[in-house]
Amino acid sequence: MIKFNGVNKWFGKLHVLKDIDLHVTSGEVVVVCGPSGSGKSTLIRCINRLEKFQKGELFVDGTPLHDYSTNLTKLRAEIGFVFQQFHLYPHMTALQNVALAPINVRKMKRADAEALAHEKLDRVGLADKADAHPTQLSGGQQQRVAIARGLAMSPKIMLFDEPTSALDPEMIGEVLDVMVKLASEGMTMCVVTHEMGFARQVAHRVIFMDEGSLVETGNPHDFFANPQTDRAAQFISKILTH
Amino acid sequence: MLEGFNFRVIWEYMPFFMEGLRNTFLISIVSLFLALIAGITACAGRLSPWKSVRGLAIVYIESIRSTPLLVQIYFLYFGLPTLGLRVPELQTGIIALMLNSGAYIAEIVRAGMTSVPNGQIEAGISSGLNYFQRMRFIILPQALGVTVPPLLGQAIVLVKDSALLSLISVLELTRVGQTLTSERFMPSEAFFTVAFFYLCIYFVLKTLADWSQKKLIFREAY
Repeated sequence: MIKFNGVNKWFGKLHVLKDIDLHVTSGEVVVVCGPSGSGKSTLIRCINRLEKFQKGELFVDGTPLHDYSTNLTKLRAEIGFVFQQFHLYPHMTALQNVALAPINVRKMKRADAEALAHEKLDRVGLADKADAHPTQLSGGQQQRVAIARGLAMSPKIMLFDEPTSALDPEMIGEVLDVMVKLASEGMTMCVVTHEMGFARQVAHRVIFMDEGSLVETGNPHDFFANPQTDRAAQFISKILTH
Repeated sequence: MLEGFNFRVIWEYMPFFMEGLRNTFLISIVSLFLALIAGITACAGRLSPWKSVRGLAIVYIESIRSTPLLVQIYFLYFGLPTLGLRVPELQTGIIALMLNSGAYIAEIVRAGMTSVPNGQIEAGISSGLNYFQRMRFIILPQALGVTVPPLLGQAIVLVKDSALLSLISVLELTRVGQTLTSERFMPSEAFFTVAFFYLCIYFVLKTLADWSQKKLIFREAY
């Protein structure tokens, strides 16, 4: 589904991704963790090419992303992306936020798209907030609308870039619940997060990044119980004791 | 203070003032409309991915903003005929006001567009919206909210700037004041009345600007 072959990326002189090799299969849930600045956000932003990279190959659902001549609009419609800061459109209601892309990208009729949007909002537990503007919603609710917005396109892959990092602690649970449900339904997911509970519960694989490299990868149980590298052990002890 | 003031003359010249007021109004409306087109075009050029288009837009915007309007008016007034273009004063004046306000409007519109957080644009990209759809549904509706009040401010500036057209003998409000001064030698009466009319126009536009500010800026809370 997603295949990185020796991907390298530089921001100016800074080498942010170093020879990334990674293969994510359909239906797999992968959690990416690591210290800040390790390149994990950049990694998943490459998957729908919000970031370009300079060297290597990346295939997503068969589409070559290293070939800059491919038109990505179609592929991007198949990939949901959830941001740390939600990035809802503040001038639209929750419903309009969710229905916008189905109407304009999928060319659905307005009524059909709104029915679909209602269904997706219901799925994230916000059926009653359809007419609310983002400013009237809590952070957790906004993030769930953002997830519904991604789901409305019936994506093959959902990417999450630290979806709970900007939330108050008591709101993290409601967002994670939605994500757990999604994972259990077989969605292919790449999640950058430090929520180790989530990783333990649903991840098939945990990837640990440091300084732009994939340092360690393993199933969550082994990774947390006995990490293979010092760097990962250090990181785990830090996040578990805070 | 007003004891020597000759209201009778003002009254006598009232039809003349009305004509000037009407012309100022028409010049301003037409120039503003054209300036909006010029400004939006220049702004699109300024944000264009092509370097040469961007360069052209920057040259236009900066050269207008760095020179006095009066110089621009004279430049067109004396310059166009030497290029073999015989354009009447009124049209020359409107072109000058259009080019001048257009440059400022380009910057106002650009500020509005860049005020939309980049993350929202990325959200649009991620859901497969193309460039025009992102403009239409995400950027423009929000940019409009923050753009309209300063645009009305620019409209006020434009109305006042149109007074400079009197110097190339376009018959507008200020020109009427000058005429009254030279025919009857009553500069206080003349320019008191002229100022009063500008104040009226200003008051209407200012009320509109304040109202739009209240109506449109509420979205900014994000």
